[in-house]
Amino acid sequence: MIAFEHVGKRYGGRYDALAHLDFRVRRGEMVFLTGHSGAGKSSLLRLIMRLERPSRGRILVAGHDIDRLHHSQVPFYRRQIGVVFQDHQLLFDRSIYHNVALPLEIQGVEPREAARRVRAALDKVGLLHREKALPIELSGGEQQRVGIARAVVNKPALLLADEPTGNLDPQLSADIMRLFEDFHRIGTTVMIASHDLALIARLRHRMLRLHEGRLVADEEAA
Amino acid sequence: MSRESAPARGARSHRATTGSRWRAWLRHHRAMGQDSARRLLRHPLGSLLTMLAIAIALVLPAGLWLALDGARLLDAELDESATLTVYLAPRVEAAEAARIEQALAARPGVAETRLITAAEGMAEFQQALGLEDALTRLPGNPLPASIVVHPVETAPAVVRDLAEGLKAVAGVEEVRLDLAWLERLRHLAELGRRVTLGLAVLFGLGVLLVVGNTIRLAVENRRQEIEVVTLIGATHPFVRRPFLYSGAWFGLGGGLLAWGLLTLGSDWLAAPVSALAASYGASFSLPRLGPAGSAMLLACSTLLGWLGAWIAVSRHLAQIRPR
Repeated sequence: MIAFEHVGKRYGGRYDALAHLDFRVRRGEMVFLTGHSGAGKSSLLRLIMRLERPSRGRILVAGHDIDRLHHSQVPFYRRQIGVVFQDHQLLFDRSIYHNVALPLEIQGVEPREAARRVRAALDKVGLLHREKALPIELSGGEQQRVGIARAVVNKPALLLADEPTGNLDPQLSADIMRLFEDFHRIGTTVMIASHDLALIARLRHRMLRLHEGRLVADEEAA
Repeated sequence: MSRESAPARGARSHRATTGSRWRAWLRHHRAMGQDSARRLLRHPLGSLLTMLAIAIALVLPAGLWLALDGARLLDAELDESATLTVYLAPRVEAAEAARIEQALAARPGVAETRLITAAEGMAEFQQALGLEDALTRLPGNPLPASIVVHPVETAPAVVRDLAEGLKAVAGVEEVRLDLAWLERLRHLAELGRRVTLGLAVLFGLGVLLVVGNTIRLAVENRRQEIEVVTLIGATHPFVRRPFLYSGAWFGLGGGLLAWGLLTLGSDWLAAPVSALAASYGASFSLPRLGPAGSAMLLACSTLLGWLGAWIAVSRHLAQIRPR
């Protein structure tokens, strides 16, 4: 699903944020990306989302070299990827329902079909009863679940998450991770950047460890 | 991509037909048109001020254009009155004058002639100046007989040639050509046209700036939203659309206000203008924006609003990159 081939990312001509990255993620796999802050986890995810382009090497997603995408194709590429952010990136001027419906609106899905899918996604994260609420009325954990519902509402093949449990207590964090495991179970490729080692060690999935922009460990699920 | 949960559903969603894409496009246009109108109405005073700024920028060139349109009508009328006045020598008798008139009428290039005898000339003069008393005290009639000649063609060069020919006729003392002021008027009209065009371009740019600035602020206010929708796969046209509608609404609102101001203005100026025209013996009234002119004004203002928004959003989109 994802292949990094000798990928490096250099900022400002001197600083190597990422270097010599070589790994593959199989379709349907669930992978954790760990390392200290500044190890390059976010940069790596940004490369996959094509918010940045590699300075060296190439990145294949579903068999396509994403560096060769024309900029007009990039939006359509991004629609194949669901992304969950640490700070959820919800729009605070619209209801939970409309936040989750946003990707479908962008893709021009028929409203009736969209409503069905939004409710299915909200049901999955256990927030169907809050669809009319505004994000501000929700707790941090609930907001993150809305973010997840939005990421999965168009059934992406690939789900990326950048520190999805960064601001949550251990119980809520475990709940969120369980949600990701559910999506993994139905065939979605999941890649989660997290520094919460205690939590992800319990979950027994493959772990890619970054240190100063290099891949220092690739531990298969025990 | 196979989905264990609902493979059939997934397959169907990927098969977007041209028809459904077209419907989705229309749906988004309708939604954004309504949404941007609602946003305008949420800040009525601010929106009104922006529209008023646009209206003021539009009123001046549009008003000048209307005035010029009126001047063109006047010009056409004047064209027909391009005449030559042939003054006969004072010693020419009435019978002789009539003979000369017939000779002139027979010349090629002359459409029509009218003889004004010395007595008729005096009567007209007295009436025009109200100097009856003073003139009756004169020993004799100092005015010569004259013949007004309407040329077939009114082009200045042709009329000038005709005048030269008429001067050579025996008994003719002087030929007066009233072309100089007509030409001056035409030059003035041309000057007016160019000034109007220049002002229209300048004020059109002004409208672009007003709309562009307003939209720039709107883009800045919705920066986070733009970043998020870009992250989840919105195309540039999708992001641009609500702002383009805002710009078009601002333009349309400004155009309607400008239309109102123009109508009020021409009502306000109508009385003095027709009084002034009457004092010159002409019937001239300010032309009004007809249905075509009104449609043109609204179309131009809407287009300018849209264009201003397009420039502002495009400039900004290049800068906004998701964090």
